[in-house]
Amino acid sequence: MTWDHFKKTVNVVTMAFEVEMRQNLTDGFVLFGILLQPLIIAFMALWMLKEKGPDYSIFVVVGSGMTGLWTTLLFQGGNSITGERWNGTLEPLVGSPSSLQVIVFGKVLANISQSLFSMVVCYSIISFVIGYPLVIVDPMLFLISLVFSIFAYVCFGLLIASLFILIRDIGRMINTLEFPVYILCGFLFPITMLPGWTTPFSYLLSPYWAAQALHGAASGSATPAQLLMYWGLLLGFSVIYVVASRWLYRVILYKARVDASLDTEG
Amino acid sequence: MGKRLISNFRIFIEGAILAYRALFRWLQPSTYLASKVLAPLTMMIFFVFIGAYANGSNSASYYVIGNALIFTASSGIFGVTMSIGGERWTGTLPYLFGSPANRLVMFSGRSLVHILDGMLGVFIGLGWGVLLFGLDLTKTDPLALGFVILVTTFSTASLGLLMGCLSLITRNVMLVNNTMYFLLLLFSGANLVVETLPKWMQVVSAGLPLTRGITASRLIISGGKLQEVLPMMRVEFLIGLGLSLLGYVMFRVFETKAKQLGTLDIF
Repeated sequence: MTWDHFKKTVNVVTMAFEVEMRQNLTDGFVLFGILLQPLIIAFMALWMLKEKGPDYSIFVVVGSGMTGLWTTLLFQGGNSITGERWNGTLEPLVGSPSSLQVIVFGKVLANISQSLFSMVVCYSIISFVIGYPLVIVDPMLFLISLVFSIFAYVCFGLLIASLFILIRDIGRMINTLEFPVYILCGFLFPITMLPGWTTPFSYLLSPYWAAQALHGAASGSATPAQLLMYWGLLLGFSVIYVVASRWLYRVILYKARVDASLDTEG
Repeated sequence: MGKRLISNFRIFIEGAILAYRALFRWLQPSTYLASKVLAPLTMMIFFVFIGAYANGSNSASYYVIGNALIFTASSGIFGVTMSIGGERWTGTLPYLFGSPANRLVMFSGRSLVHILDGMLGVFIGLGWGVLLFGLDLTKTDPLALGFVILVTTFSTASLGLLMGCLSLITRNVMLVNNTMYFLLLLFSGANLVVETLPKWMQVVSAGLPLTRGITASRLIISGGKLQEVLPMMRVEFLIGLGLSLLGYVMFRVFETKAKQLGTLDIF
């Protein structure tokens, strides 16, 4: 990749980011997913786990934050391409010289960033109301874990968006995919409570490793070596997602040309 | 009089069935299975595990019953709202408002299929509870439980009728629905013990449908008798009736306003 190409790619990501951010601010359902739902889940989880004491508050806050990130990724990220189809803007996007994958990357990044920012505000309010202090044991390690997590989430979003287009039944099952990831990734309770046969599924999901890294860094329960391993896994998964989605986007565009199905609802 | 009664009954039943068939044609078996059976199940599992993490595994039945009753909200809120708002989105609202049919019959009929569907959802939820979490129904009076579920589903669907009216004047209907659904999850006592909540939340909880239905179901499943829950069910029914009437009044007001302003299907 030349420097000029890199600059153009960043420019496309920035533009997609900005447009998506502006659109989200006028969409009530998006605002619900970003603000209200995580807030309610966080309150419920904090209330249910309050007997465990204030030490658990940061666990619940981080876990609830991750539920919000996943919900946003699933509904917004998953529909990144489908949404353009509904709006009738998919053809101009595909016809433009920019890569569709890069555009979707910018869109998903906007969704995740918005979700993250709103959560910080929401959870500060909740912990203030409930009266539990929010203490991050190692802020620097937490911040690094957060960057790796966001990157992995966005790359996962690239994959999901393409799968929603190629396998339309996945799109129809969207409501079914929300809570299983909350459960399998140990956002709000350890996965050791689940039957043993589910563990391999947890290991295959990058949000699980993001949860491990964020919970570990926030509570100080993870050693630096463990955190390095989590970051490495997050990076590894991200690379796999990017490579796989690159191939899937080619398949989408090829199929669209062959079947003339670019704006066809399935 | 008798003829009008028969005609209204026919409109009630036919309206209910036709509206469901027309507006929910997208609800294919696979979509139904995903959104009405699997999605609520995964939500139930999530809250049962959080509950077990907080209070130990003995608490499973508490969360199973609470989340099974929440199934009524899925049909009652989303289904009924779409039954009313769907007429606007599909462009059939002017025809409905132009017809001479009795508005009360037309309006209330929209909830019929969803009440039945909501009841089915609760039974499925309880079935999952028995299969996955060993929910004990041996002490349960099935008729009493059926009655409690029927009244609770009615009151939740009544809230859906009210929300459906709001969908006639807002574009953000999914925001309204989802917010109400999650507020019910929060306030109804499905997952949080209402008595432990702050006072103001207990007041809100007492005014909502579903709260008493969940409490009564827990009581019946643990061996309680119908007589014990009747006073609660009376209030639950009255809340439902009040919400239905409020929804109907709003429906008529919106109809009149929309006709006056010419905004019947303007988004």
